[in-house]
Amino acid sequence: MGIFGSNFNAAHHAALEVAQKEGKFPLSVNRVTKEYLNGERVAVDDMSFDIKEHEVTAMIGPSGCGKTTVLRLMAGLEFPTRGNVESFGMPIKGPGPERGLVFQAYTSFPWLTVIENVQHGVAIQGFSKAEQRDRAEHYLKLVHLDDFANAYPDELSGGMKQRVAIARALAQDPQILLLDEPFGALDAQVTWEMEEMVVEICENTNKTIVLVTHDIQEAVYLADRIIFFTRQPGKIKEDMAMEFKQGQRFKRKEDLLSEPGYVEMEKRLYTMMREEIQGRIS
Amino acid sequence: MNENAQTESATGTASATGNGSAPIGQAPLFKPPREGFLELRGTVSRGQTIILGFLGVIALFLIWEVAHYLTPDYQQKFVPSVGQVTSKVFFLFAEKGYIADVAKSVYRIYLSFFVACLVAIPLGILMGSFIKMRALINPTVGGLRYLPAASFVPLLLVYFGPTDFAKMALLFLGCVFFLVALILDNIEAVPRALIESAQTMGAGRLHIIFRVTFRAAAPQILDSMRNMIAVSWTYLVIAEIVAATDGIGAVMMRGARFLHVDVIMGGILTIGVLGVLTDITFRVAAHFLFPHTHARR
Ligand SMILES: Nc1ncnc2c1ncn2[C@@H]1O[C@H](COP(=O)(O)OP(=O)(O)OP(=O)(O)O)[C@@H](O)[C@H]1O
Ligand SMILES: [Mg+2]
Repeated sequence: MGIFGSNFNAAHHAALEVAQKEGKFPLSVNRVTKEYLNGERVAVDDMSFDIKEHEVTAMIGPSGCGKTTVLRLMAGLEFPTRGNVESFGMPIKGPGPERGLVFQAYTSFPWLTVIENVQHGVAIQGFSKAEQRDRAEHYLKLVHLDDFANAYPDELSGGMKQRVAIARALAQDPQILLLDEPFGALDAQVTWEMEEMVVEICENTNKTIVLVTHDIQEAVYLADRIIFFTRQPGKIKEDMAMEFKQGQRFKRKEDLLSEPGYVEMEKRLYTMMREEIQGRIS
Repeated sequence: MNENAQTESATGTASATGNGSAPIGQAPLFKPPREGFLELRGTVSRGQTIILGFLGVIALFLIWEVAHYLTPDYQQKFVPSVGQVTSKVFFLFAEKGYIADVAKSVYRIYLSFFVACLVAIPLGILMGSFIKMRALINPTVGGLRYLPAASFVPLLLVYFGPTDFAKMALLFLGCVFFLVALILDNIEAVPRALIESAQTMGAGRLHIIFRVTFRAAAPQILDSMRNMIAVSWTYLVIAEIVAATDGIGAVMMRGARFLHVDVIMGGILTIGVLGVLTDITFRVAAHFLFPHTHARR
C-alpha cells in the first residue's frame, strides 16, 4: 500500500469486527452540540441518537437545521463542541474509508476522467489495477454513466456529476454510507431510478446508510427510520421508525403507495415540516 | 419550399412554413444577430486572433516609423527606423556571433528560473498544506518581496565578482519571492471539498498533498510560472550590465557606449521576441499537460 495508501489498517479492522460482535452501534451521537463563530451560532444543540446496523436512517428537516453538520461530524470532517460521536464504540478521530460520504456539492476531481474518478477511491484502498477497473465499470453502469467513462467532469451536466460522486462512494465499498442530499440536483425520473438503486444496494450489500434529504417522499420510501430535525438550532423533533412498512423494502417506488399507513405517514411529515417553516415566518 | 423564410429575417428567428404541410428536409440555419467589434464578451475565431494580433504589432511599428520620420535629420540616428533595427539584428547574427549571446541569455533565464521553481514550488506546497509552516515562513518570505532585486547588484558583485553565477543569482532573486507568493495562493485556492472527499476515501496526508492539492492547483501554478518568467526577462538587462561580458544585455551595453541606438533597440526587440516565444511554449505545454482545462462541452 505504501506511503500513499490509506491509514485504515488491519488492527482497526479487527477492532471493528469485535465491536460489531458486541452489538455496538455503527454510529452513536452522544449529547452533541456544535457551535460556529465562537458560539454565536448553534448548529446542533445537545443531540443524541444511535444509528443501527444495516438500517437506512433518513435525517430530514428545514434548510439550515444542521443536517449537513451532523453528517460531517459522523464523517469525522468536523468535531463537536460538546459531547462525542462514536463509531462501533470508538470515538471518531477523523475521516476514514469505512465511512464514505457523498457531498451535497460536486466534488469530482476535474483532472481525472469519470472512470478514473471512480477508480481513485478504490485505488487508495490498495486494490489491484484489474480490480479497480472492474469495480469502476460496474458502478458506472449502475449509475448509467458507462457511456461517459472517458469524459471529464466539466463536460457533464450537474446531475451526471452527482452520479459520478455516488458511483465513487459506492466503489469505495464503505461499511457506512453517508449521503448528503445525493439526489438534490437530479431530475425527477433519474432521482427515482437512483432511489430504487439505493434499495437494491441495501438488499444486496447490507450497508448502513445515513441519508440527508429534504424530500419527504424520498425519506419515506428509502428509510427504515426518519429523524426529524427542528429548525435552528438543530434538535430532534421526532424520531420515527417506519413501522408501517413492516420491514419490507420496495423494489418499485409505486408499490409503496398502496401500503396501508403510507399516506398517514407522509401527511404527518408534511404537517411537521409546515410547523417548522411557519415557526420561521412568525 | 421554405428557402424564403430565411432571407426575410436576417436577425430574427426563421419563421415556420405556415401552410400546415409536413416540413421537408432540415429547418433553415439559424442566423444569430451580427456581432459588433465591441461585443461584450463576444467570440473570436482563430483566424481573427492571429490577424488582430498582427495588426497590433504593425500598429506599434507604424508609430515607431512615424517617430523616425518626424525626428529632425541630424538626430535621426537616435531614432532608427524599423528597417534599420531589423537589418542591424540580422547583421549582428551574421557577422558578430549574436547567436552565442542570445543562447547565453536564454540559458541564464531558464536555468535561474528552473532553480527558482525548485525552491518556490516546494515552499508553496509546504505553506499551502500546513498552516503552521505558513505562519513560520510566510512573514519572512513575503517581506523579501519588497526588496528591489536591482539593489542586490552591488552585493552580488562583491560576493561573486562578474561571474555567471552572480547574474543568475540576480535573476533568481528577482522572481523567486513572487513565485512563492503566487504558488501559495494557487494551492490555497483548491476547494476544501476536494480535500475532504479524498479524506473520506481514506487518502493519507502525502496522497492528498501530491495527488489532490498539487494536482488540482497544477494548471494555475503553471500559469503563475508563465507570468513570473516574463518578469525574469525584464531583469535580464540589469543582470547582464554587471561587468558586461556576454549575453544580450552586454551587447546592448556595448552599443550604448558607442551611441549605437540601433543595437540597443535590436536588443530590446530580441528580448521581446524571446519573451513571446517563452509565453507560447508555456501555453502549449499547458494545453498538453492539462487536457481537462479545455475540455468544455
Ligand atoms: N463553517 C460554518 N461556519 C459558520 N456557520 C456554519 C458553518 N457551517 C454551518 N453553519 C451554520 O450551521 C447551520 C446548519 O448548517 P447545515 O449546513 O448543517 O444545514 P443543513 O441542514 O444541511 O441545510 P441545507 O438543507 O440547506 O443543506 C446553519 O445555520 C449554518 O449557517
Ligand atoms: Mg446541507
